[in-house]
Amino acid sequence: MKTMVKVLALALTLAMALSLAACGGSDTDSDLAYVKDKGTLVVGMTDFAPMDYKAEGSDQWIGFDADMARSFGEHLGVDVEFVEINWDNKAMELETKAIDVVWNGMTLTEEVKKLMSCSEPYCLNGQVVVVPADQAANYQTTESLSALRFAVENGSAGAEQLDALGISYTAMDTQAKALMEVASGASDACVIDLLMAGAMIGEGTSYPDLAYTVQLNSEEYGVGFRVGSDLVETFNSFWKEAYDAGTVMEVAETYGVQESIIEK
Amino acid sequence: MLLDVTLSLLEGFGTTVELFALTLLLALPLGLIICFGSMSRFAPLRWIIKTVVWIVRGSPLLLQVLIIFYGPGLMFGLPLLPRFTAALLAFVINYACYFSEIYRGGIQSVSRGQYEAGQVLGMTKSQIFFKVTLLQVIKRIIPPMGNEWITLVKDTALVRVISVYEIIWMGESYIKKGLIWPLFYTMVFYLLFNGLLTVFFGWLEKKLDYFK
Repeated sequence: MKTMVKVLALALTLAMALSLAACGGSDTDSDLAYVKDKGTLVVGMTDFAPMDYKAEGSDQWIGFDADMARSFGEHLGVDVEFVEINWDNKAMELETKAIDVVWNGMTLTEEVKKLMSCSEPYCLNGQVVVVPADQAANYQTTESLSALRFAVENGSAGAEQLDALGISYTAMDTQAKALMEVASGASDACVIDLLMAGAMIGEGTSYPDLAYTVQLNSEEYGVGFRVGSDLVETFNSFWKEAYDAGTVMEVAETYGVQESIIEK
Repeated sequence: MLLDVTLSLLEGFGTTVELFALTLLLALPLGLIICFGSMSRFAPLRWIIKTVVWIVRGSPLLLQVLIIFYGPGLMFGLPLLPRFTAALLAFVINYACYFSEIYRGGIQSVSRGQYEAGQVLGMTKSQIFFKVTLLQVIKRIIPPMGNEWITLVKDTALVRVISVYEIIWMGESYIKKGLIWPLFYTMVFYLLFNGLLTVFFGWLEKKLDYFK
């Protein structure tokens, strides 16, 4: 009996310690101060040319977003560390401070805006339908799409478009896998970003036998911060400055995305 | 090209093997402790251990990995463990629970009569365990252990969900560059490694092929 009491007491103490720890999790402090204090800005991204990628044989992340992130780090006076994340977990990565910012050609969807505090948009993009090149002529209108078997990245902007059209699809974990589905014939079509489609399909690319047809919408890219973070403001003024100084367009031209950059 | 891919996959496989080896190193002894707990004569301890084993064996390892990595931050605002450490912790707890049941099966399969014989000869409890039971237990748990080890090698693929860059992650990263075959090529690495394990366990079984 005595031992039972001891076990019970131990369990209660544990429960109390846990609930106390739960109360200690308030985040009123400045995110800017947190990052500066730490001395590193941890950028969560994925391998996504031309925004974030590694050149052949190099270990360094480059791309429009990677270069601008480095420049933002310089502006803050901190080091920039890139972490390749599982895109499905981006909100959790942010919230738990595993990363400080999501910066990877992220479409500002309703869902994203709910989960993070986002910067002003900096880049235009759209969702396009990709089909085998020899069938592209048959699928030039939204109406022609309903009979196709689609693959699309789970929770992506493309998936939202298909939902809105009432077209069912197979969800994949990346846009690249959706492309692979079409290339292998497992699906008839997929929906991916225009920027990505421009870089990855058609003649002279990895998928020469694919082509994109209908553009389903137009949308904007933004950078995501923790909910309520004061880094959003810092970022917006940094971007305006960099745009006025011509740095943004200079970097954009390096990676061929100057057409899509939003004027500030 | 093949060489480049092989080297980069090997880098990922290094992480896979590291996770595999460290999990075994920690989970094998921890499993034995849990096993003794689950056979304890002190009922509350036995219940707690059995509940833990039920939760750990009864829920997907994928979820456990996610909870151990993100949980502290999401629930309590605490700083996170490094990614690999969190993955390792989840694997050690998970596999220790499975191992504990394998140990328990092995220990309880030794007939009651042998304990009694030991007692009659005036041996202490620990003498009976180490001199009478242990070797028989080891021999009997080899086949299920072999199964678990091979499963463990393949389960390591789950940790890419928290961005631990193991071999499947490395293979998948080529898909974005338009190369599909590296993902399937990773299978060769798993097969070779598990082939080695199979040979090792075969040899071990032969080595322990005494007292029928």
